Amino acid sequence: MGSFIANLLLATVRMASPLIFLSLAELYSQRAGLVNIGIEGLAAIGSLTGFLISLITGNPLLGVLAGALAGILVNMIFAYATITLCAEQIVYGMAINIFAPALAAFTYRVYFGSGSELVQVELMGTMKSMFGIKSDNFFVNLFLDQTPMVYLAYILVIVTAIYFTRTKSGLNYKAVGEYPKAAATLGINVIGIKYLSCIICGALAGIGGAYLTTCYSKTYVDGNVAGRGFIALAAVIFGRWSSGGVLIACLFFGFCDALQIRLQLVNNTLPYQFFQMIPYVATVVVLAIIGAKKAGPRASGQPYRKEER
Amino acid sequence: MKRNGIGALVIVPLLSIIISFLIGCMIIAALGANPADAMRYLLKGSFGNMRNIGTTLSRATPLIFTTLCACFAYRCGVFNLGGEGQFIIGAIVACYIATKAPFTGFPAIVLCALAGAAGGGLWAAIAGVLKVWRGQNEMIITIMLNYVATLLMGVVYTNWLRDGSVPQTVAVPDETQLASFFGLRATVAFPVAVIAGIVLFYFLFYTSSGFQLRAVGLNMTAAKVNGFNVKRYLLMSFIVSGAIAGLGGALELLGTQLRLINGFAAGYGFDGVAMALIASLHPLAGIIVAIFFAALRVGSTTMQTATGVPTSVSDIIQALVIVFTVAGMAMVKLPEFKNWFARRARKEV
Amino acid sequence: MAVGSPQTEVLRMEHITKKFGSVYANRDINFDVRAGEVHTLLGENGAGKSTLMNVLFGLYQPTEGDIYVRGQKVKIESPSQAVKLGIGMVHQHFMLVEAMTVFENIILGDTRSKGIFIDRNARKEEILELSRKYGLDADLDHPITELAVGAQQRVEILKALYRGCDVLVLDEPTAALTDQEAEGLFEIMNKLKQEGKSVIFISHKMREVLRVSDRITILRAGQTVETVNIGEVSGEELANRMIGRELKPSQYVKSDSSGEIVAALDHVSYHKSSKHNGLNDVSLKVHRGEIVGIAGVDGNGQSQLAMLLTGNIAPEEGAMDLKNSKVTRFDPNGFIQENVSHIPEDRNKAGLVGNMSVADNLVLKSTRDKRFSDGNGMHLKKKAIRSYALEMQEKYDIRCSSVEQESRNLSGGNQQKVILARELEASPDLLVAVHPTRGLDIGATRFIHDTVIMQRDMGCGVLLISADFDEILEVSDRILVMFEGQIMGEYSGKNPPIDEISLAMAGK
Repeated sequence: MGSFIANLLLATVRMASPLIFLSLAELYSQRAGLVNIGIEGLAAIGSLTGFLISLITGNPLLGVLAGALAGILVNMIFAYATITLCAEQIVYGMAINIFAPALAAFTYRVYFGSGSELVQVELMGTMKSMFGIKSDNFFVNLFLDQTPMVYLAYILVIVTAIYFTRTKSGLNYKAVGEYPKAAATLGINVIGIKYLSCIICGALAGIGGAYLTTCYSKTYVDGNVAGRGFIALAAVIFGRWSSGGVLIACLFFGFCDALQIRLQLVNNTLPYQFFQMIPYVATVVVLAIIGAKKAGPRASGQPYRKEER
Repeated sequence: MKRNGIGALVIVPLLSIIISFLIGCMIIAALGANPADAMRYLLKGSFGNMRNIGTTLSRATPLIFTTLCACFAYRCGVFNLGGEGQFIIGAIVACYIATKAPFTGFPAIVLCALAGAAGGGLWAAIAGVLKVWRGQNEMIITIMLNYVATLLMGVVYTNWLRDGSVPQTVAVPDETQLASFFGLRATVAFPVAVIAGIVLFYFLFYTSSGFQLRAVGLNMTAAKVNGFNVKRYLLMSFIVSGAIAGLGGALELLGTQLRLINGFAAGYGFDGVAMALIASLHPLAGIIVAIFFAALRVGSTTMQTATGVPTSVSDIIQALVIVFTVAGMAMVKLPEFKNWFARRARKEV
Repeated sequence: MAVGSPQTEVLRMEHITKKFGSVYANRDINFDVRAGEVHTLLGENGAGKSTLMNVLFGLYQPTEGDIYVRGQKVKIESPSQAVKLGIGMVHQHFMLVEAMTVFENIILGDTRSKGIFIDRNARKEEILELSRKYGLDADLDHPITELAVGAQQRVEILKALYRGCDVLVLDEPTAALTDQEAEGLFEIMNKLKQEGKSVIFISHKMREVLRVSDRITILRAGQTVETVNIGEVSGEELANRMIGRELKPSQYVKSDSSGEIVAALDHVSYHKSSKHNGLNDVSLKVHRGEIVGIAGVDGNGQSQLAMLLTGNIAPEEGAMDLKNSKVTRFDPNGFIQENVSHIPEDRNKAGLVGNMSVADNLVLKSTRDKRFSDGNGMHLKKKAIRSYALEMQEKYDIRCSSVEQESRNLSGGNQQKVILARELEASPDLLVAVHPTRGLDIGATRFIHDTVIMQRDMGCGVLLISADFDEILEVSDRILVMFEGQIMGEYSGKNPPIDEISLAMAGK
């Protein structure tokens, strides 16, 4: 039982990491007033790109980097449509959710042909294996049996918290999501920050997707993001648009994910699908419980136009 | 003014389709195939003979249902992204009735259809209740419920209704399968889908309830102040759109798939959303768009066999159409664009 | 900081013209400001005051004309450039981020200090010094949402001073203030003057204009009428020049109907403790054939009163009668069935479905009516709806390219006429009209007043809520004053005691 809990906790930390990237992506987007429900799609393209590049170069870190780039590129479509053309954000996010996975699936087909054999890629090593540590102590595992990406995720949470609460730039950034017109009268470059938010969002979503193929699973399959992009949306609401809150939400959802995997392994009476439902059902239940206290950036979802009368 | 508006609703998607096909052709050329050949096989595969037309209509049928599901919900301002889950639940319910009911044939078909619709409607109502009484974001909830429905279907075909060693359910008995539509590969589910579209069109544009539902979708505050029962309409839009998808699922099972299996209905929900948006939420236009995309998919199989271009090119083209259409719709609404257009028009006169 | 002698010119706008499409919002306007003066821009709604200031602040680009700051010709392309030139502006709708604190709002967009992090202590010290110098007390760590309107305004002024402004534009600063708060503002303006700062004061309230101005520039219909020194012209003369005609007493015959009561509130309370969004022990009656005007500064419970009388909210205490029967269920549809009509406060948000056509909006409430559908709404008669819409277009003088035009593309006045047509054609027993002429031109305002008076004469009871005191005086048969959710007093609409009512509006 002790090892069950230890393994559960270790898995929680690991499973929360991709969610943290994706949720922070959404957080940066919404803080600038852009609700991007296309995170799922951005993660899909990031995942495929990460997979391909780490396969080609043999370097998972390069894969992650390429995943970030791919996320940025695709999110620039969203940026142009919603910021410059003032397209409805929800609708356009949906378009991204259709476009990006299709692009990922197509690229995979073209690269590997229609053969059914799954190509495998070498995963990123953990710190423990890198330093050749042999100990199997729980704390060693918790803190060292992790890939660099896990550290990056948690560092980003701290950096984000500091950015939005302690820096001048972060304050300006938040003002764009709250009241862009007021921000503009204070000389803040509203359009610029909105585009910047899309770059950050695309990069983080791409990294979150690439995590899945460089640190989590050796193969790429269509739909491997498995709704994490949407759970990230819930995590941002659950986390009340703060970096710390998002972390707690992601740990919770990561725990649900870890739990379902662990339960599948120990239980063989119930069909495994019931365990797989846990993260999704948990999301619905959590949203139902917290209700809809209107919170979050005030200008979220609204287009911003300059000379208006 | 109004004519101008409708013009944009037709021209923008058409232009988007043309541009997307051009990009598609470039991709095909880049893959080393002849785009003209590819396009010829695409057309031949989808509409080349009666058999292929039948296949196209058969593929279009479930898409029409999920498109109508999205059209209806969005007209009321409800972003139901759960068409897929509702479709699957409808199919699960129908699968149980078709394989377990003591009777077969027409009564079983009717019961399957009604129960499938009810199942889809109830499944959507979960999100509806959470939206109306807890004010929750329906997009996330409906998507989560899609995953739950897909997993539930997994339980059904791997455990509860498993057909021997294969992870699939037993097949629907012959007598309960849908009749073919004029000897084509498509079944009577296709005309049912078209009729559903016509009924929705009539409801939305020719009845007082449809009028009020649209008003709720366009301006909820004004609808409330003007005495409409907003909560009722919101809930209704969830249930009805879910029922449409559920009916689609039931008929897809009885007509085409015959059993539940891994990958059943995968992607149909989001496809429906895309098609509804391209059709500007118009049910009749939605039918046409759904047939168009079904043709693209069916034809791409022939294209792949003949030219080696992977079928997923058609997915890319479809995705590009939605990307361009939505952006184009937004663009023609921009004041800058309107001014530019007005200036051009004045010059020409 | 350049503190010039009182006669130094700090700012001059020459021949400013601003067109929106083919409409002139400003036409050949000349305007200048000297150091240490309060220069008032006086004009009616729509006279072009705000446009001119938005041009000055870089929010709009002038179609023609030049701006000079301290003798240098400048081109102001953005607000930040205006700020660099020493121009600060307090907008009518405050540009404050509500989710942030006072401190955060003041330092927002700050570029003066280097470094990534917010240097809280040093910045706070600086702000506190400013606030002491100008008597602008503010609790820096308070969130904006918890501040009263007057306090928010002080934050806006501090914000401008923190950015080193020499010329401060105050756009209708007293519109939402109580008299006491306004007094405080005038004191602050005096301090600013003493420190050599200039204030551009925008207002149409004659009393305060005469009280605070050094010079006054009158705008009318987008053009400069003239610039005068204080003391040269009397208040009445100014008013006449501002509106371009004699200010006349009401042209309508006031009725003193004591017909049947159509609506009555009996000691009604709603969110009692909220001074700005609640009702506190309100009792009132509306009779057939009278217009009851509710006077008061915006945000003293008027919105809630209107919502209550139309069934959009239910009272927490007290009771309401409609035509002598007690209301048991508060829902808008029930009230509509009881013949209550409503011209809502926000016509775009609550009055119209902007993306629907004029015709659809005209029949919005009555699609189940036999005239417009068969079988209780089962089949809409599109032709009948269209011909009805054409009839209404004619009757209410709705100017649109066709009745199929989307109502959001109509001008404000024509949108309001669509609502008016819909609400009055229902032959209401009670009409609740909230700011029915806000933002409309004189012609449309006149039309709406005439129509409402006609409805009154046909036996409708009207409750008119307006923040425009002149409108209240013009059409009301009886005037009630609201302040912080309470009714402060009742006055006759015939020869109303204006001073007394003004005091009541300030809570005295």
